[in-house]
Amino acid sequence: MDTQFIGENLRPGQLGHFFAITSFVAALFSLVSYTRSAYTEKTDLNNSRSWLLMGRNGFAIHSAAVLGIFFSLYYIIANHLFEYNYAWQHSSKTLPMQYLLSCFWEGQEGSFMLWSFWHCMLGLVVMRTSGILESRVMAVIAVVQLALSTMLLGFYFGPEMKVGSTPFMLLRHQMAGAPIFAQGNYLDFVQDGNGLNPLLQNYWMVIHPPILFLGFASTLIPFAYTIAALWKGEYQDWVKPAINWSLFAGAVLGTGIMMGGAWAYESLTFGGYWAWDPVENASLVPWLTLIAGLHTLVVYKSTGRSFIITTILLALTYLLVWYSTFLTRTGVLGDTSVHAFTGEGKSLYWHLLVVLGVLLLGSIIMIVRKWRSLPRVKTEENVDSREFWMFIGSFILLLSAVQIIISTSIPVWSPLAKWITGKDIAPPVDPVLHYNNIQVWVAIILALLSAGVLYLRFKTSDTKTVWKRLLITGAIALAVTVAVAYVQQIDVPQYALFLFASVFSVVASIYYIISVQKANLKKGGPALSHLGFGLSLLGILLSSFNKEVISFNTLGVVMNFGKKTDAENAKESRENILLFRNTPVAMGDYMVTYKGDSTSTEDPRTFYKVFYERYDEKNKEVKETFTLYPDAFVNPKGQTGLIANPASKHYLHKDIFTYVTSVMDPTKKTDTTSYKEHKVKNGDTVYLSSSYIVFHGFNTEVQNPNYKPANGDIAVTARLGVYDLQGKTKELNPVYYIRDGFENFIEDSLQTNQVYTRLAKIIPDENAAVIMVKQADPKDDYIVLKALVFPFINVLWLGIIVMVAGFFVSMWNRLTKKEKRAHILDL
Amino acid sequence: MKKTHIVLLVLVAAAVCIIVSMFGDFSTYETFASASKDPGKQYHVIGVLAQGKTMEYDPVKDPNHFIFYVQDKAGTVNKVVFNGAKPTDIEKSEQVVMTGRMEGNEFRCSKIQMKCPSKYKNDQVAIGNAS
Repeated sequence: MDTQFIGENLRPGQLGHFFAITSFVAALFSLVSYTRSAYTEKTDLNNSRSWLLMGRNGFAIHSAAVLGIFFSLYYIIANHLFEYNYAWQHSSKTLPMQYLLSCFWEGQEGSFMLWSFWHCMLGLVVMRTSGILESRVMAVIAVVQLALSTMLLGFYFGPEMKVGSTPFMLLRHQMAGAPIFAQGNYLDFVQDGNGLNPLLQNYWMVIHPPILFLGFASTLIPFAYTIAALWKGEYQDWVKPAINWSLFAGAVLGTGIMMGGAWAYESLTFGGYWAWDPVENASLVPWLTLIAGLHTLVVYKSTGRSFIITTILLALTYLLVWYSTFLTRTGVLGDTSVHAFTGEGKSLYWHLLVVLGVLLLGSIIMIVRKWRSLPRVKTEENVDSREFWMFIGSFILLLSAVQIIISTSIPVWSPLAKWITGKDIAPPVDPVLHYNNIQVWVAIILALLSAGVLYLRFKTSDTKTVWKRLLITGAIALAVTVAVAYVQQIDVPQYALFLFASVFSVVASIYYIISVQKANLKKGGPALSHLGFGLSLLGILLSSFNKEVISFNTLGVVMNFGKKTDAENAKESRENILLFRNTPVAMGDYMVTYKGDSTSTEDPRTFYKVFYERYDEKNKEVKETFTLYPDAFVNPKGQTGLIANPASKHYLHKDIFTYVTSVMDPTKKTDTTSYKEHKVKNGDTVYLSSSYIVFHGFNTEVQNPNYKPANGDIAVTARLGVYDLQGKTKELNPVYYIRDGFENFIEDSLQTNQVYTRLAKIIPDENAAVIMVKQADPKDDYIVLKALVFPFINVLWLGIIVMVAGFFVSMWNRLTKKEKRAHILDL
Repeated sequence: MKKTHIVLLVLVAAAVCIIVSMFGDFSTYETFASASKDPGKQYHVIGVLAQGKTMEYDPVKDPNHFIFYVQDKAGTVNKVVFNGAKPTDIEKSEQVVMTGRMEGNEFRCSKIQMKCPSKYKNDQVAIGNAS
């Protein structure tokens, strides 16, 4: 007989699975209808129209089904239905409300769902706005949605083959065979879920993934328009929407990437916002090609040139989004040597490869089929034209993307390299240096182009004016560069050049906005974006070139790391500092004291109180004090050790960034010191390791709040003054009382100095007391801290905000501008 | 030939040069034995924590000094010195990928990448970095 399972709520899962299948079928229906509509457009307009309506309905049903999946899963997670694997694996009962949504994007199915959700939302907008291109654009979107819905199907073909994976998998199916599921009441034992990865329990992680996925999703629309234009063989009407959607995608994806950087900076401990990590690179590369495509698209719109490269760039952008998914989701990067996928990883691996292959093949077929008729301009562009330099800039963006993707994909192509050369290729030893050394040149060229191109006009420019403006702004930029390089001590040639290029970009953009565009905000979108780009580059340079570790360790053994100088040797490794509780240590300009830790029941984290003081060098007066609370998950579920969150002191011109790298294991924090007895008379002193106690006699009026008087008590307190190196801190009043013939003690302690006292005995004849005293060894409580100074990081954040604002201004300008369309056709 | 084409050719040529030269940056996976043939050079070494060997990390003495033993793919057990704090959870790692160089009999390691059998994700990678 089959086991009867008790307490399971199977309805939401069944409903969710039904929605998943509906979304697949509706996407297929929508795809077929839209395609039919496109094919019958010329021959039978009525027929085409009815197919179009069916396509619309199909897509609407599909979108509703995707929403249904979303709410089913949300219901499961929010109600802690741990019979479902997804809820069990990614959530727990203690998880605060605001992180319930984060559970979605921790798992792979949830991420695909989020992606699919955005495609639907954007698709519904496109459906209403795409006019005569609707059938084709929507058909492309439907193809992608069809592919995405298969990701959530979870159909099995035999034990090995699986298409997609459903988020509604039951725990007892996921772990089939585990003995616990032989019992019908297994849910009684599954009281809580696994919980969310502590790294995701961060406010940035609530907003970063939805924005990033919206960015990824919005690259679909320019792609869909491009394919639609090629399909129809009509190269006019797609330009305007493609530009607007590219601007939107550029802004949102840019914001998403920046938020990822901000998350890394605020809550990861690699000490920065960008580490050329494969996952970061995978999101940056599509953005680079998208920006390239946007620029060539503008060139095409203004001059009719660069059509082919535009289609290639926009198609490539979307293919790279899928490739990024492939890189980050299949675990192909996770381990570069043993390709040990789980069963799911293997099916996902092939699934994504198939989708990628279909999209790639489709794009190539579309371009090749129309190759002869694609718009081309026979004549040559002038060297003094805007389009010439924009094209070069775009091409350099593409080359930059190629370099990043080749280096990031090492684990993908290294088996091939091994087969050819016999060498087992590994990523560069210092990836940051590797990428920086190459990309700094890209940044220099792009910064110079982004500034210079503003002064040029399409087709041909007035060379004299251009040179005049370039010289003026160049001279200003040079003066600023020299000043900044001197103050900031930037003396490495390529970085000095980088400084000039980015300053030039900033100065030239500002000059252009003010004196050429007369500060007309509506037209200023491109210049604003270029200004933001220049500021971002400047911020990157200033914050990373003089990034400084201030937590140098001065204790311990000196080791040789093979560096040239002792200073470099020291720097190599001495970047963590040990702070004993209440023992000030010099760190940079600051005296830093670890004041203890604190926990609360609402928050699983432990907060470490670190006190900073800055003294005036001359008169030793305290100029500034502040306290930072870096925190950490100590011994989070299933792990030992800690996951640290940094804390930063933000100034306008710099950040002090600190995080805890190691702490005293709280379980090993045992009471090693024991009480010592001292017989004292009035005025006697007892010395402890970092303080001393003076006995000031007895007091029969007991003030200690822990003492509850009762009839017949004989009670007395000792007056003990506790002094540390600065002087008297507090008086302690341990209580001694006799109740019902028994001796009782109430201890008194001073937590900040870790002093504990007890009045053990009274000797009335000698007017003396026996007190028991202990002071915990401060070496029992310590943290290991790392602290860095990031100068001018706000320039970077400002730059990105300005750049994104520029995208939106351009979009606003283009959407509100009345333009004559070349062909006006109404359906 | 169009000017654009000339510029494109130059750019592509430059890019190819850069990409070819970039291969010099790439490291290789080695064993302790093969890494010691060129002691000055940094390599990646993959291995597992050696059974029965103790780790040494005493932050009170030196928070930047962590010693452990790793068995590489060839089966050799070697002492590894990491110039940083002991990475969280290294005891539980299924595999460690270390970046560093041989110095005498010790492997001086500047970066540790661990693969952990995490309950959260199948391929969670924790990174310990000295710099």
